[in-house]
Amino acid sequence: MWVQEIAHQAEHAAPETHGEAFNAGKTIIEHVSNAKDHPIFQLPAIMGIDFSVTKHVFMLWLVAAIVFVVVTWTVRRYLRQDRLEPSGFMNALEAVVEFIRDQIAGPNVGRKWVNTWSPLILTLFIFILCANAIGLIPIFDVLGLLDHWVLHTGEHSFVKRVIHGGTTATANFNVTAALATITFASIIVAGSKAHGFVKHWMNLVPPGMAWPIYILLIPIEIMGMFVRPFALTMRLAANMTGGHIAILAILSFVFLFAEMFGRAIAGVGVGLAVSVPLAVGISALEIIIVLVQAYVFTLLTAVFIGMAIHAHH
Amino acid sequence: MDNPLVQPDPGLFIWTIVTFLVLLALLTKFAWRPLLEALESRQASIRKSLDDAAQAKLELERLHQESARILREARVEAESIIGKSRADGERLRAELKEKAKSDADAVVRNAERQIQLETTRALQQIRTEAVELSVMIASKIIQRNLSKEDNERLIDEALKQVQSRSH
Repeated sequence: MWVQEIAHQAEHAAPETHGEAFNAGKTIIEHVSNAKDHPIFQLPAIMGIDFSVTKHVFMLWLVAAIVFVVVTWTVRRYLRQDRLEPSGFMNALEAVVEFIRDQIAGPNVGRKWVNTWSPLILTLFIFILCANAIGLIPIFDVLGLLDHWVLHTGEHSFVKRVIHGGTTATANFNVTAALATITFASIIVAGSKAHGFVKHWMNLVPPGMAWPIYILLIPIEIMGMFVRPFALTMRLAANMTGGHIAILAILSFVFLFAEMFGRAIAGVGVGLAVSVPLAVGISALEIIIVLVQAYVFTLLTAVFIGMAIHAHH
Repeated sequence: MDNPLVQPDPGLFIWTIVTFLVLLALLTKFAWRPLLEALESRQASIRKSLDDAAQAKLELERLHQESARILREARVEAESIIGKSRADGERLRAELKEKAKSDADAVVRNAERQIQLETTRALQQIRTEAVELSVMIASKIIQRNLSKEDNERLIDEALKQVQSRSH
């Protein structure tokens, strides 16, 4: 996204020609938040809810489509063989699938339920991982550059609509809240499947205690029930937003310094000496964060599902 | 709440759930279930192969021991056979030697007896012929018939002469 940033702000670098000062905060927010006022497809509101396809909805679809096509194609190609020999990307996919099944799902939900919950946990991991990772690739920024200098599409073209807003859907807490809701629902389904619907709710508190303790315990457990997905929501969204804000802030130095000294060369110097090396470093860190956050979300989901299945008796 | 980072967006929330559930359903049906089943069956087949290999190893070990045992027994048997045949050969040779010796002895004895017999007969014949010859010679020489006593005396003398000569 910084590539687009540079292109976008290239004309702002000489403020005397443009008259409008560079606003780092506004630019950064624009590049990490959903572009609500630039929907890709405007749809009518149903019951007061705006179902327009915004940038983040579009990104979710793009990620879902990529994940579905790549995973299904790889798996189908692998299963078509007479002798199942993994090759190419299938090696990586198989390693991921086996890791998630044997290291995340298996130890938490137990042998009996591992095949029931592995698909959900696998889908969560791969979907979140790809949604996180796609934000690191400046596809839309390159597209913006291309549009700015080569394509010259119209004001309301698809390309123009698509380049607004952040690319990391998982940096939006509405998205992560929805994913955490999936986890929340899965916990209830897992508990109900393992113990029956009523027993699942009774499992929330340990049995056989004096009633005053329950007065204290039941509200705490109910709070805990909501705190877990809330923590999942905030952890993922904040981690995804934070890294991007840091990169953008560092890259803003280029324009801030250019403005401060009234010369483009000052900005380019700061960019080459400070901003780009730092941004590269943070991007490298982001690769780890992208993986770790997908892992943490998935692992915690598996842990919570496991807790509902193996309730404390 | 004008910070776009924390603006609630129910539309996006619902889209996310729908998108995720559709992806979950599709992936589960077309990718995860078949893949997990394949992985499981492959795991089972690997386990079976390992079991088979262990079984085969045990079997091989058993066969190895059996063949070693058979070889050992065969060696012992061969040694006993060789020893026995050596003893047999020894015995046979001794027997043959004994037999040959006795045969040869018999032949020699036979020949000796034959020779003795022949010698005796030849001597007898010589004796008789010498007597006759002497008589004939004597009668021719003296050309006369001697008295019986003379005859006998002469014969005796002649015989004595012959005997003393033949000895």
